[in-house]
Amino acid sequence: MKPHEPNRSARGLDRRQLLKTIAAGTTAAIAAPYIRPASAAPTTLRALMWEGYVLPDVIAAFEEKNKLKFAPTFFDGNSEAYNKLRVGGTKDFDLVQADGFWPSLYFREKLIRTVDYGKMPSTKNLFPVFQPEKYKLLTDEKTGVHFGVPFCWGSYGITYNKNEMPPEKAASIECMFDPAFSGRLSTSARFEENIALAGILVATKMGTINKPRPDGKSFNPYHLTDEELAGVEKLLIEQKKLLLTRYQDNATLAQLLESGTIVAAPEFAQVYRQLLNKKAKGEITTDFAHTLIPKEGGLGWVDTWLVSYGVPDGPTLDVCQAFIDTMTSQETMKKIAMASGCSTTIDIRSLSTPEEQTLYLMDRTNELSDMYMFDQPSSPEKWERVWSRMQAA
Amino acid sequence: MRGRLAGSILLGVPALFLAALFVLPLLSMVVLSFWRTENYHIIQDWNLGNYWTLATGGAYVTFLIRSLVMALIVSAVSILIAWPVSYAIILYGGRYRLLFTLAFAVPFLTGEVLRVIALQGLLGPLGLINGVLMAMGAAPLRFIMYTNVASAIGLVYLYLPIVVTVIYLSLLNFDPRLIDAAKIFGASPLRAFIEVTWPLNLFGTLIGFALCFIPCLSATLAPRFLGGPNGTLYGMAMAQQFGESGTWALGAAMGVVLFIVSVAVIVAIGTRIDLRRTGFTGLGRS
Repeated sequence: MKPHEPNRSARGLDRRQLLKTIAAGTTAAIAAPYIRPASAAPTTLRALMWEGYVLPDVIAAFEEKNKLKFAPTFFDGNSEAYNKLRVGGTKDFDLVQADGFWPSLYFREKLIRTVDYGKMPSTKNLFPVFQPEKYKLLTDEKTGVHFGVPFCWGSYGITYNKNEMPPEKAASIECMFDPAFSGRLSTSARFEENIALAGILVATKMGTINKPRPDGKSFNPYHLTDEELAGVEKLLIEQKKLLLTRYQDNATLAQLLESGTIVAAPEFAQVYRQLLNKKAKGEITTDFAHTLIPKEGGLGWVDTWLVSYGVPDGPTLDVCQAFIDTMTSQETMKKIAMASGCSTTIDIRSLSTPEEQTLYLMDRTNELSDMYMFDQPSSPEKWERVWSRMQAA
Repeated sequence: MRGRLAGSILLGVPALFLAALFVLPLLSMVVLSFWRTENYHIIQDWNLGNYWTLATGGAYVTFLIRSLVMALIVSAVSILIAWPVSYAIILYGGRYRLLFTLAFAVPFLTGEVLRVIALQGLLGPLGLINGVLMAMGAAPLRFIMYTNVASAIGLVYLYLPIVVTVIYLSLLNFDPRLIDAAKIFGASPLRAFIEVTWPLNLFGTLIGFALCFIPCLSATLAPRFLGGPNGTLYGMAMAQQFGESGTWALGAAMGVVLFIVSVAVIVAIGTRIDLRRTGFTGLGRS
């Protein structure tokens, strides 16, 4: 209490003060579980992540070992996660996932912080292409600090029914725009990847894919010119007539492919692997194949573990890095691959059969460098208009 | 004095609740709709750009018209189904009337997503309907797979229980002796229904219509999972602004437009109805 203020306690507790005290007490009681001193070990580890990477047994063991609760929040796309982080989410989350170029955007905007590879020994098992010296998207160009750990990778390739679509046709993005397969094609509901994939085809047809770009950089399907975007819109409107649906989830896509209702769809290869497993078990007879990179070029992604900017140095950061280390251990990565059907950035060949090595592309990680990485659209507003006009057409 | 205090509390609490959870968010949405977003950032410069986009960008007008038509059809179909069902429960339900009505509410015990996905399984290529047809050697019904018809079926399925319940409650307070009186005076059953039962229960029907129409206008899940490439409705497009594309300001303007349209529809219905003729007493005595 400052010297010039009246001593209220001498007058007793008036009604207003009593109400204030009750209000403050209630607020403190409600807020207490969410307030943590910076130096204390966390009681909850909060993650903003893709649902497919939750492994209950691994997480339960980590919770038990570290005496904390793991609280995940899920998202469907990078832009959704980005929005959640920007609206104060750095205080709400300790761990974050993102892919492609998004982590560098997060780092520029101080949504995530640096990490120490030395505290995560599992990173020594990263395939060479994902080591920080080769994979530059998680390293700050100016300072050389690292701000994320690669986790899983894949493409947005085309899974197709080999009995219905010849491989030479499926080798081109054009197969997704071929009237010969009218009503028997599907794409995902993800607007960014639909536009970017069509953008590669449009730029190829326009001959702009290898020409100098307005920004002076090499071609990036997430940075299309207005002319290319107009071409994309036209192409997507034409494609709409050929689509049965835009699938929302892998289960629906698996049903559509398995039933023979559709013959091809771009996807992250998870469904392709599911179908191949079913074929191996004799549950289905149809032969499916997957075009990893179409001849015009393909989209790729590398999912990463990041640590939120709200995490201070000390016990919380240690726990975050310990969690990433657990998730990137070879044993966990093997489980992740089997459960989510994705390729891993950690070399798990010693734990895998030759069939698994082929199926999970363990010897093809170098192809990643030929893919266009998932990125933030150069203008979400323009892309949204293109997508809306296509939907309404 | 104690009565006035109790009244103030009983009316004040819900009023505060409404102000905090409805009026304030709505106001914040109105404010946001006059700003703009650029690369996922909200730029606080006041402008009418979002409304200009909604008015001149044909896509958004198309989504709104699609939604209005869809909501109108779904509400009309729901009323057409709900009336005979509710009437039958009232006439023949006996002591099980409440049980019959509650049975309609059973789907509400599960989440909306689950119900829509279940319906997707029913109408889809491997669903019950097409599965049976294909097992019998017939061609699958393509018009129920990822089309606006599938969306409409989904929406009727989602909102029919509400309409049935509201019309049932309306009929519950209806005095059936009035029909007997009409018949005594020579009216046929059809005429008795048109001149007595229908107008005296019109308010319940209209509430049922509104409770179906308004959520249909902003429906997101049914068109998303059942609608197919041509099935984008206004609510789904609006949800996209707040999710994937991050164009929140435009989404907020879409929300404001949706609110205005909903209010306009309710007012339009209200001005054409003589509420007292329908037996509604909520306007007080003159």
